[in-house]
Amino acid sequence: MPQTPIVHFEAASTLAVVVSSNEPLLFLSDELKVIAASASFCRAFEIDPASVPGSRLGELGNGEWAMPKLASLLSATASGSANIEAYEIDLQRPNHKTLHLVVNARTLDDGNIDHIRLLLAVTDVTNARAEARLKDDLIRDKAILLQEVQHRVANSLQIIASVLMQSARRVQSEEARGHLHNAHHRVMSIAALQRQLSTSHGGSVELRAYFTQLGQSLGASMIADPDRLAIQVTVDDSAVSADVSVSLGLIVTELVINALKHAFPDERTGTTVIDYRSSGNEWTLSISDNGIGMPVGSDAPKAGLGTGIVEALVKNLGGEIKLSDAGPGTVVTISHQESAGLRTEVSTAA
Amino acid sequence: MNNGKPVVLVVEDSALIRMGAVDLVLSAGYEALEACDADEAIRMLESRDDIDLVFTDVQMPGTMDGIKLSHYIRNRWPPVKLIVASGAAILEESSLPFGSRFFSKPYDDHAITDAMARLLSSDAPLAPTA
Repeated sequence: MPQTPIVHFEAASTLAVVVSSNEPLLFLSDELKVIAASASFCRAFEIDPASVPGSRLGELGNGEWAMPKLASLLSATASGSANIEAYEIDLQRPNHKTLHLVVNARTLDDGNIDHIRLLLAVTDVTNARAEARLKDDLIRDKAILLQEVQHRVANSLQIIASVLMQSARRVQSEEARGHLHNAHHRVMSIAALQRQLSTSHGGSVELRAYFTQLGQSLGASMIADPDRLAIQVTVDDSAVSADVSVSLGLIVTELVINALKHAFPDERTGTTVIDYRSSGNEWTLSISDNGIGMPVGSDAPKAGLGTGIVEALVKNLGGEIKLSDAGPGTVVTISHQESAGLRTEVSTAA
Repeated sequence: MNNGKPVVLVVEDSALIRMGAVDLVLSAGYEALEACDADEAIRMLESRDDIDLVFTDVQMPGTMDGIKLSHYIRNRWPPVKLIVASGAAILEESSLPFGSRFFSKPYDDHAITDAMARLLSSDAPLAPTA
């Protein structure tokens, strides 16, 4: 016979609810005596259900629940001076790895203020925490890997750029040197894009920053006297996908190279403007200069590789290219209309 | 100075990039020396006293990367000018010794020779590093 007579009897239904709870639960008296434990609790923490009734919290299992901090928090909850909400404890058992638990305790109020009982819910978050840590590790690893890839791409582009410039310094032919320099500009255009992408989120490229960098890069290598020639960038807040930006960047590169090479002979001064604006699916890119203007008729230069590249890229983007007199100078406008893609399809089908 | 020509030490572990950088230095009219890591660079700096500028990569095998090397050089050979280039994420020039220049890779040859010319022509005493 227990020495302390049980004054209160628990309703069978209450005990049934506790025992059948899916969530590990302990039903305690205010003296931290275990009235009932859910089957899930016994299963999760390897406690013999037969040993539960009448034992004290600290006596459960091998005494691993005798945590002074938990006991004092529960006592405080019982007296109404505290509330255990999502309190974290480590359960240490011999021959088991430490479990990370989240406990919630509250008093059960059935109107009888002399009869205080506690309900302690225990959640094992060991695996969840481990998974979260693993996820963090993976995210960090991926970020490091991405940085490493970007570093390698930059190094590879540097190798190509170095080799092209070495070749350009060695060749005798002025024409060959020009071609090598152009190839170098194309590589640097992709490099500027790569730099823009490495600082962007979600893989879209902000054109103003990209074209500004592109203009600086082209200016640095092609403009000997910045007081004579300048590149100006007037671009709205548009952002495009990485593959579209490759095409746009290469078009800008070709057209700016062209303008700087041909529009300002004989020490002319002038400005080349890179302009881009978009609205919905419609966009317009224009490269204009205030130079000598395009020669026409028999004086017109033979279309070079640059022209071919631009035409191919514009076609890819579903755009239209227009060359006009800017008075003074030349403006090349590439535009993409909402219905442009459709019209191209119709005309090729016809 | 060597025959009146400034001497530039290129520190870079990638052979092709190093070759290109040496070619760049020569084409700019300077004398070029090369090292494939920080340790070799320090040995060269210790063995001769005519190096005016060090143009270094950041990520290199060996005991020091280019950033540590640049600080080491600033402390031991304060007059030596410094240019640092890297393919890694954009670096703050503030993490480099005072007065050094940073370029991200791939760098533009003109930008590098321009920076070399400016650094080599400035004989202004360096402000003490904070």
